[in-house]
Amino acid sequence: MSDLDRLKSLLFGAEKEALDSITERVERREIRTADVADILPEAIYQSHNKNAELVESLSEPVGECLQRVFQEDPETYGNALYPVIGPAIRKSIMHALRNFAQQINAAVEHSVSPTGLKWRWQASRAGIPFGEFILQRTMQYRVEQAYLISRENGLLMGHVHHEASKIKDSDAVSAMFTAIQDFVKESFSPDRTGRLESADMGEFTLWAVHGPHALLVCVIRGVPPKALRADLSAILERIHFRYGEAIRDYKGDTASVGDVEVELERCLRFEARRERSERKGKAGLWITLAVLLLAAAGFLGYRSWNYSQQLDRLAAALAAAPGIHVTDITRDGGDFVVRGLRDPLAPGMNGIAVSADIDAQRIAAEMQPFQSLQPEIISARARTVLAPPPSVQLAVVDTALVVTGDAPWQWRRQLENRATALAGISSIDLGNLTSSDRDAFVERAKQLDQSRFQFASGVNLATGAEAEIDQFAEEFQALQADAADVDFSVVLSLYGSTDSTGDAAANAELAQRRADVVAGLLAIHGVSVASSGRVSELPALESSADDARRRFVQIGLTIQSAQ
Amino acid sequence: MTPITSKICIVGDFAVGKTSIAERFVNNQFSEKYLTTVGVKIDTKEIERPESGVIHKLVIWDVAGSDRFDDTQYAYLRGASGYIYVADGTRAATLASVRQLQEQISQRYSDLPAVALVNKSDLASDWEISDEQIVALGARFNGVFQTSAKTGDAVEGAIDKLAALILDTVLQDS
Repeated sequence: MSDLDRLKSLLFGAEKEALDSITERVERREIRTADVADILPEAIYQSHNKNAELVESLSEPVGECLQRVFQEDPETYGNALYPVIGPAIRKSIMHALRNFAQQINAAVEHSVSPTGLKWRWQASRAGIPFGEFILQRTMQYRVEQAYLISRENGLLMGHVHHEASKIKDSDAVSAMFTAIQDFVKESFSPDRTGRLESADMGEFTLWAVHGPHALLVCVIRGVPPKALRADLSAILERIHFRYGEAIRDYKGDTASVGDVEVELERCLRFEARRERSERKGKAGLWITLAVLLLAAAGFLGYRSWNYSQQLDRLAAALAAAPGIHVTDITRDGGDFVVRGLRDPLAPGMNGIAVSADIDAQRIAAEMQPFQSLQPEIISARARTVLAPPPSVQLAVVDTALVVTGDAPWQWRRQLENRATALAGISSIDLGNLTSSDRDAFVERAKQLDQSRFQFASGVNLATGAEAEIDQFAEEFQALQADAADVDFSVVLSLYGSTDSTGDAAANAELAQRRADVVAGLLAIHGVSVASSGRVSELPALESSADDARRRFVQIGLTIQSAQ
Repeated sequence: MTPITSKICIVGDFAVGKTSIAERFVNNQFSEKYLTTVGVKIDTKEIERPESGVIHKLVIWDVAGSDRFDDTQYAYLRGASGYIYVADGTRAATLASVRQLQEQISQRYSDLPAVALVNKSDLASDWEISDEQIVALGARFNGVFQTSAKTGDAVEGAIDKLAALILDTVLQDS
C-alpha cells in the first residue's frame, strides 16, 4: 500500500468502503438486477399512477411479445383464452342472430294465417320478437343425457340424464365415444384437426362440444336449434373455468371434480316442446269445429231448403182448401204462422198439415172467421144447417141449391125458407125431390075413401057392418093423426043410399037417417063428420040382388093441403 | 366409497387371447362388434377396495391385435393408466411383439404400470417360451403372469395386480 493510499485510508476510511460497495453494486450485474427487481413493481405502480407514459412505452414491446408467443405456442394461449373467447364470440353471434330474427320478423310480418296471428299475439304477450318466437315454436328437442369426458383418456368425469332415459354403462359409453372420436379423427381427418361434432341416430342427435381438456357430449332427442350449441359451449366453458386443472389432469378420481354434475344438470334444462298432443288436440278441435260448422251449414241449408219446400206445400194445401183465404204465412223459428180468413166449415188445420206433410204442431193459425161463398163451403154449410136425411143429396149449382132424393115432408116444407136464408144460395131446385111419406098418406086416404057400410033394412046395419065401422073409425083416426105431418087436413063426408023400392021422398029420408046412424056410431069413436047427404048418382040396376046392395052408407073422404 | 375410474389397455399380437382375457375378467361387456369396425372393444369392471375406501372401476380398452401400432391404435392408448401386454405361450413370436410394442408405447407415452400375461397356460405341451425368457420379461414389467383365459387361471390375479398399482399411483397423486 502506498503512502497516498494509507493517507486516503486514514482520511476517508468509512467513505471508501461505501464507495467500493456502490461501485460493486453498479458494476455487478446480478446485484443491479436484484435492485431493479426490488423496486420494479413499485416503480411501475408509481409511473402508471403519475402519467400514461408507461402504458405508451410498454404497448409496443408487450404487443410484440404477445405476437411472438402466440406464434410460438398458440395452443397454450388458445387454451388460456378459451373461457374469454367463447362468450365474446357468442355475444357477436347472438347479435348477428338477432338481426337475422328481425329479418324473419319482417318477412313474415304480413302473414295472416290463424296460427301466425295466434303466435303473433303470444309473442307480443311474451315480449319477444315474432321471429324469435317462430324459431322457438318450430324447434322440438330435449337434452336427454350429458357426458363430461376427459379428452386425454376418455374417462367419464360426470354424467347426468333424464330419469326416463335408458342408460348403459356410462363409463363404457364415454370410452367408446372417445374411441370412435379417435377413430373418426384418424381415419377421416388427414391433419387430425377435425373432430366429431355431431351424429344422428334416428330420433336422437348426438352433439359433442369440445373444450381444451374436456368433451361435453349431449344426447338430444329431436332436432336441436343451432343456438343450443352456444348454450352448451357456455356450460363447458364454465366447467373449464371452475375446475381448470382438475379437468386437465383428470385421472379418474371423481372427487377431484366434485359437483361437476350440478353444472352438467344445466344441460338437461334445454328443451323445447311443440306440445304435439296439444297441437294435435287443437288440430282435432279445428277439424271438429270445421266439421261441425259444415254440418251446421249443411243442416241449416237443408233446413232452409226443407223449410221452403214445406212452405210451398203448406201454401198449396191452404190454397186447395175451400173456405180459407190466406193473407200471409210467416216464419216463427221453425214454425209457420198462417194469417187470413177462414170459414168455420173449412177443413181444419190438422187436415191441411197432413196434406202438406208438416207436423200440425208447427202450424199456428191466426185466422179471422168469415163466410166463404165457394160452392164446396156453401154445400157444407147447407148440409150443416139443413141437416138433410141420408136419402137426400144436396148440390150447389151457381147460386141454386139442387136437392135430390127422398125427404120427409116436414123437412122439405122447412127447406125452402131455410135454404134461401143461407149465404150464397138464392134459389132452390126441388124438382127431383120426392116425399114418400106424403105420397103414402094420400094412398092411405084413397083406400079409406068410398068405403061402404051395408044396411039390412031400414036403419038396421047388416051383420058385421058395425065392426067395419069400428075398424074404419080406427083407421081414419090414425090417418087424421098423421095428416098434420104431411100438411094435409082430412074431411069426412057420409052419403046414404037406399034400394029402389018405395017412394022417393021416403027413401031420401031413409038415406039421410042411415048416414046419421053411421055418423052416430063414428061419433062414439070421436070421429066427427063434416057433412052427410044422399048418394047422388048410382049406376043402373042389373039385378034385384043389386038393388038390395044399394042399402048402404058410403064414405066420402077428401084431403086438403093445409098450406 | 369414492369411485375412481381408470383406463387400462390390453395390447398384444393377433390371436394371443386379449379379448378372451378381457371376457374372463369383466362384468360388463360392451358391443363386441366395435372391435372389428373401430378396432377397439371396451369393457368395464368394478373392483371394491374397502381398505382404501374406493370403488375402482376399470375401463378396459381391448385394442385390436397387432405387433405394430398405427396412429389410430396409438390414439386409443392415450391417457391410459396402465397396460396389459399379452403374449401367446405357444408362439414365441408373440413375446417379441410384446417387447416391440412396449418399446413403441414407452417412446410415445410415459412409463406406466404394466403387467405381462403369457397366455394359454392350458396348452403347456405346445409351450414355446422358456422360463428364462419369462424371468427376463419380469424386469421390464410390474409383473409377469402365466395365464389361461380358457380356465381363468391367473387372469384375475394379474389384472388385480395392475389395478392395485394404478390405484396406488392415483391415491399418491391426490
